Amino acid sequence: MAKNERLFGAASAILSFIGFLDAAYLTAKHYIGGALPCLITSGCDTVTTSAYSALFGIPIALFGALYYLSVFIAAIVLLDSGSRFARYYIFLATPFGFLVSLWLIYLQAFVLNAFCSYCLLSAATSTLLFILSLLWRRNLARK
Amino acid sequence: MNGKRITLWLIVILLVGGAIWGVMRAAKNSASTGTGDLAVAVSETDWKTGSANPKVVLVEYADFECPACAAYHPVVKQMVAEFPNDLQFVYRHFPLKQIHQHAELAAVVAEAAGKQGKFWEMHDILMTRQSEWAGNRTAQGFFVGYIQSLGLDLDKFKADLADREIKKKISDSYNSGVRSGVQGTPTFFLNGERLVSNPRNPEEFRTLIKAAIAGGATSTPATTMATSSVTR
Repeated sequence: MAKNERLFGAASAILSFIGFLDAAYLTAKHYIGGALPCLITSGCDTVTTSAYSALFGIPIALFGALYYLSVFIAAIVLLDSGSRFARYYIFLATPFGFLVSLWLIYLQAFVLNAFCSYCLLSAATSTLLFILSLLWRRNLARK
Repeated sequence: MNGKRITLWLIVILLVGGAIWGVMRAAKNSASTGTGDLAVAVSETDWKTGSANPKVVLVEYADFECPACAAYHPVVKQMVAEFPNDLQFVYRHFPLKQIHQHAELAAVVAEAAGKQGKFWEMHDILMTRQSEWAGNRTAQGFFVGYIQSLGLDLDKFKADLADREIKKKISDSYNSGVRSGVQGTPTFFLNGERLVSNPRNPEEFRTLIKAAIAGGATSTPATTMATSSVTR
């Protein structure tokens, strides 16, 4: 495996793991309940209890956790075996994750007028993952 | 090679499993925040009524648009009237914005009335006439009526409505509630200790307050003592 690919794989694994921790925490909060202590911004529970926090009764955070977990596992598979399928999966999944994040940021900024620090962290990791996959694609195309 | 692979996947499984376990624990811990004590002690910026030199301080976190808060309003008033020398009542905002569309505005209205010395008067009106304006699209019209009925200066009032300090005070109050483990309204704290279940009638409330008075100064939590020395 090329050194670059190993680097991209490792960076994706780390970012998606951070995203997974964040989304899993929000999912756990959703089911366990209780007020969400906010770190920097205010309005965490405004956001996480809003009508937009769940889709078909399943919390958005759970979708997020599964998304990050799948990217994490794909990154590990790639590091382990250099599988092309794992790479394609990351290329396909990260733009989708990025778009969903954009939509959620839009909801927080213009509909709910409240930001939730955990959701912003998730937006940051999904944006970085997307940028990383773009750079990686360019790097591959150059060869 | 195979052994290396197994190790890698074992590490991954342990990492993910450990993460899920840790996250569940963290979520559970913060769900039962603290010991149920009031995290932010009563201070000069709080709205207080009743005894100026109390043996017992009752703090309520409430939302003007919450029906249960309106139901408790006459009971709390009755308690304040019954223990004029021993009981002080403190009102803190806990607007549940996500379910009550006018909760925050109502809190701002009360604070702006407070700037003209009529906080408690407005507090009483908002609570007793909640059914008029709660969930009503024309709530603002009712608020203007209340302002006029209290004889407040409407221009000054309008200017105060946009006051950032008021917004900050309300969100500070909300956050102090979150830190004290408030999850719904109304939540009462008697001498800094959260009432696990709200008293169901005036009789139960009276018993609790009497017990707290009898408990006297010795049971006054350190938090309340600390502020009195800081703020005075």
